[in-house]
Amino acid sequence: MFRLQGSKVLAVDMTGDAVKAKNGSMVAYDGQMAFKKLSGGGEGIRGMVTRRLTGEQMTMMEVKGHGTCWFADRASEINLVDLQGDKLYVESSNLLATDAGLRTGTSFTGVRGASQGNGLFTTTVEGHGQAALLSDGPAVVLRVSAQYPLTVDPGAYIAHQGNVRQSFQSGVTFRTFMGEGGGEAFQIRFEGDGLVYVQPSERNTIAGDV
Amino acid sequence: MPFREINSRMIEAVVAPGQRLFSQRGAMLAYRGDVSFTPNVQGGQGGFASMIGRRVAGEATPLMTVEGSGTVLFGHGGHHVQVIELAGDTLYVEADRLLAFDGTLEQGTMFMGSQGGVMGMVRGQVTGQGLFTTTLKGHGSVAVMAHGGVIEVPITPQRPVHVDPQAYVAHHGDVRNKLSTALGWRDMVGRGSGEAFQLELSGSGAVYVQASEEKL
Repeated sequence: MFRLQGSKVLAVDMTGDAVKAKNGSMVAYDGQMAFKKLSGGGEGIRGMVTRRLTGEQMTMMEVKGHGTCWFADRASEINLVDLQGDKLYVESSNLLATDAGLRTGTSFTGVRGASQGNGLFTTTVEGHGQAALLSDGPAVVLRVSAQYPLTVDPGAYIAHQGNVRQSFQSGVTFRTFMGEGGGEAFQIRFEGDGLVYVQPSERNTIAGDV
Repeated sequence: MPFREINSRMIEAVVAPGQRLFSQRGAMLAYRGDVSFTPNVQGGQGGFASMIGRRVAGEATPLMTVEGSGTVLFGHGGHHVQVIELAGDTLYVEADRLLAFDGTLEQGTMFMGSQGGVMGMVRGQVTGQGLFTTTLKGHGSVAVMAHGGVIEVPITPQRPVHVDPQAYVAHHGDVRNKLSTALGWRDMVGRGSGEAFQLELSGSGAVYVQASEEKL
């Protein structure tokens, strides 16, 4: 079971089961725990090769044992996500921990990825269970529905789930080339039905500079 | 008690005549009333011998004495501040994490090698904390800085707690600590899980852990 202790520490109570967590993110534990690095995120040879090729590197470890284990990463805020068979798309750098039962993989994002400064691929998490996401500052969850599409700054986007289509929008005009852009030249537009997680902070992206 | 948390990164201390407190030099943000701040060459209490001790041990942080009557606000570097109340037991903390503490507390320096022998010294090197640590003993409160929030994990004789050395902040109570290693062949070939070294704390007391693996 995942629970939050404060907003920046994730406590996981384990009784012989396992969780996958970001490499080196354990801060404390009691009881008996074993830590094992999962090469290629525990996705087998195929997943490992895919990750190498796509550059969506993710170093995860498997934590297994009895007791409570606490995770944290650079004082980032932690958000819990419950997955009931649906698919979560998340940047690998924003993924802190998942239930061992959840499958992780990579997916192609197109130009959107490049604008986020995270490459052309993103990580997917699928199955039934819980996942913990990292965000710089407390994240807000925004709902996307058919009537209300959502447009997000690529640097503030962290994850999304549900049946959502994403497209890339650019507001590049003559002014942008003159160095007079508003700093919001690129956006991601979400349409469909689902949830988008947004952090109150922007990563350094190409989009933020123009 | 003298320390009141204004928010997670700032504390207010009440100073009354005849009571003094120590704080890290330059950590005062604002004050009200008639308060004087004296740089403390000795780096704390205990006279000349203790000062030499701290210098040698590298546990000498620039402290100042705060006296007078009024209220003082303390904060430093935007770090989170945790107030720990001591009721007669001993708190072990790195000197550079100390923001402020009651003048009634007895300050000392402890040689880590005396706990755990050679492994204790290795511990100090690995954790980057050096061979010595500061102890505070008595009744009063201590304000400790940490990167990110702090959680308190209780230690009971049945349940020793393992802590990532970089996330360790302080501990109090009757606790023994040693460095435990989980070095396997995977770590040797660069395939480690990043959790090769852990501090094992056993006994009874509590350990404070920060939500980050960055030192101050």
